[in-house]
Amino acid sequence: MTDTLLLLALNGLIWGLIIALIALGLSVIFGLLDVINIAHGDFFMVGTVVAWFTLEATGNFWIGFIVAPLVGFLLGAIIQRLVIQPVRGAAALTIVATFGLSLILQESVRIVFGPTPRRILPPINSTVQIFGIDYDVYRIFAALVSMAALIGFFLFLQHTKIGTWMRAVRHDRDTAIAMGIPAQRVYIFTFGIGFALAAFGGAVAAPIATVDFRGGVDILPVCFMAVIIGGLGNLPGTAAAAILLSFFEGVIQSVADPTVARIASLVLMSAVLLLRPQGLFGGHVR
Amino acid sequence: MSRRTAIERVVFALFAAFMLSVPWSVPAVVSNFWVSIITEILIWSLFAASVNLLLGYVGLLSFGQALYFGFGMYGVGIGIDLLHLGFWPVFALGIVAAMAMALVSGIFAVRLTWHYFAIITVVFSLIFYFLAVRLKPLTGGDDGINFSMPPTFTIGGHVFSFTDATFQYFFILVTVALCFYLMHRVIRSPLGKAFLAIRDNDVRASLIGINVYLVRLTAFVMAGFLAGVAGALFAFFGRYASATYMFYQVSGEGVVWAIVGGAGTLFGPIIGTTLFIIIREVVSTHWEHHSLIVGVVAILVVILAPNGVVGVWRDLLDRLDKREAAPAEPQQPRTAAS
Repeated sequence: MTDTLLLLALNGLIWGLIIALIALGLSVIFGLLDVINIAHGDFFMVGTVVAWFTLEATGNFWIGFIVAPLVGFLLGAIIQRLVIQPVRGAAALTIVATFGLSLILQESVRIVFGPTPRRILPPINSTVQIFGIDYDVYRIFAALVSMAALIGFFLFLQHTKIGTWMRAVRHDRDTAIAMGIPAQRVYIFTFGIGFALAAFGGAVAAPIATVDFRGGVDILPVCFMAVIIGGLGNLPGTAAAAILLSFFEGVIQSVADPTVARIASLVLMSAVLLLRPQGLFGGHVR
Repeated sequence: MSRRTAIERVVFALFAAFMLSVPWSVPAVVSNFWVSIITEILIWSLFAASVNLLLGYVGLLSFGQALYFGFGMYGVGIGIDLLHLGFWPVFALGIVAAMAMALVSGIFAVRLTWHYFAIITVVFSLIFYFLAVRLKPLTGGDDGINFSMPPTFTIGGHVFSFTDATFQYFFILVTVALCFYLMHRVIRSPLGKAFLAIRDNDVRASLIGINVYLVRLTAFVMAGFLAGVAGALFAFFGRYASATYMFYQVSGEGVVWAIVGGAGTLFGPIIGTTLFIIIREVVSTHWEHHSLIVGVVAILVVILAPNGVVGVWRDLLDRLDKREAAPAEPQQPRTAAS
């Protein structure tokens, strides 16, 4: 009993780290561009599909870790310029635009990848004994990679010129522009980064999840939950909330089924929204 | 009467005449199949109108209207299948269930605005979506529940029921038209002015003595009513109720239809819904990837016509007014369109 509990909690923790990566992309896009990105789950899905095609083409799974975020970044930059830029500033319109985007991404993947879900075999095919159960080494590896990417992203935000620009534009757009920061380019870059984070999460999760053109539909609400519970625009809060939420769902799943766990975390989220709309971890109220 | 009002009246009269002639004219020109598509468009227009009432008139973006649609549906489905009630009691049950749910969730939700409101409404709808999936004995989960229709009413031994396609069409047409008329009346009433005042500036509205919370809650319950009626009608129309209609993507479609048609206009949701359902039906028979076109159209409309299709139509009429006014009184500035 305690073994299953620990195991599900561990599963939750690992998923939480991957979700944190994807939710961070959502949070960056939301915080900087004020876009409610309905297509974010599909950005993740594109990552899993790119990982699948890379594996097919090269026979090497690991190349997908580079190709998926690159493809994500390029697609994100193009999408920002073509679709998001014209409707920026009107939240309701961004919802429609990203909803359309979501349909286009799903349908395009259905055309090139096909409607049947597929699986990628874990590239590390060994297990370790954890709590008396054989545990997939790849899962632990995925968690470590996600953690490294999270830390890398925060370092990038704090210590590079573009990262500083991104923080400046988020903080005060007009002043940033007056200081000579190319806000337009920062927007394009940010959307690209947001897509890249989700796509990278997709590549990492591909051997754990299924590769399917509808794979993003279930991911989207979880990411929004993490962004809200962590506090809108609060990046470390988002990451912490994603890990906490998945861990919490993992723990509940040891006594009830996944649907009940999902309902419990949704109820938790409503309580957070109503009692602490700025999120569990402080953060600024927008 | 200006040329503008004349044009609008003629268009409306043509529209009304067409809607009344559908059961005869449409099968003659295309096929019976299209009568049921038009019926479906009517129902979904009402659903889009419930999004529009909140977004276009009160300034609240609800991403969870599918919840109230689903309650309307399940009120009918469970009422017939488990409680064995008649037509009118289950219709009432569906609407009351939707409004009660809207009242309960509205009490919490309308305390928040904008992003937070959009997100709490979607969270509430997800909670009940998962509950509906889980409570299979009651709701049938994703498979849903099928039922057979009880008769609507009996006059002098003649039974009227939805099994008669023409009766079904007119019943739905009249109900939807009544709801739109009600919405039109509410918007023109003092309450409707309070809606607009809150949409444009909620702080100012509260300073002139409007109880912002209560007005928002009223609007939310009214929107729940519209979505509930739509859900109940859709359950009658399809003879089934299913949890899939409570998922957030259904709410999202309602938002898209309302905005593409033109939020804040009475007819916008009808036009948006018609556009998308017709694209879906026409394209899907030739090409299975019709969502691709739906996505492209949604994006093109918000980029090229941020005020929706009705916004484009109004711009056209404005230009017409200007051309009409220009030669008659060249030196006078254009006065408000009368």
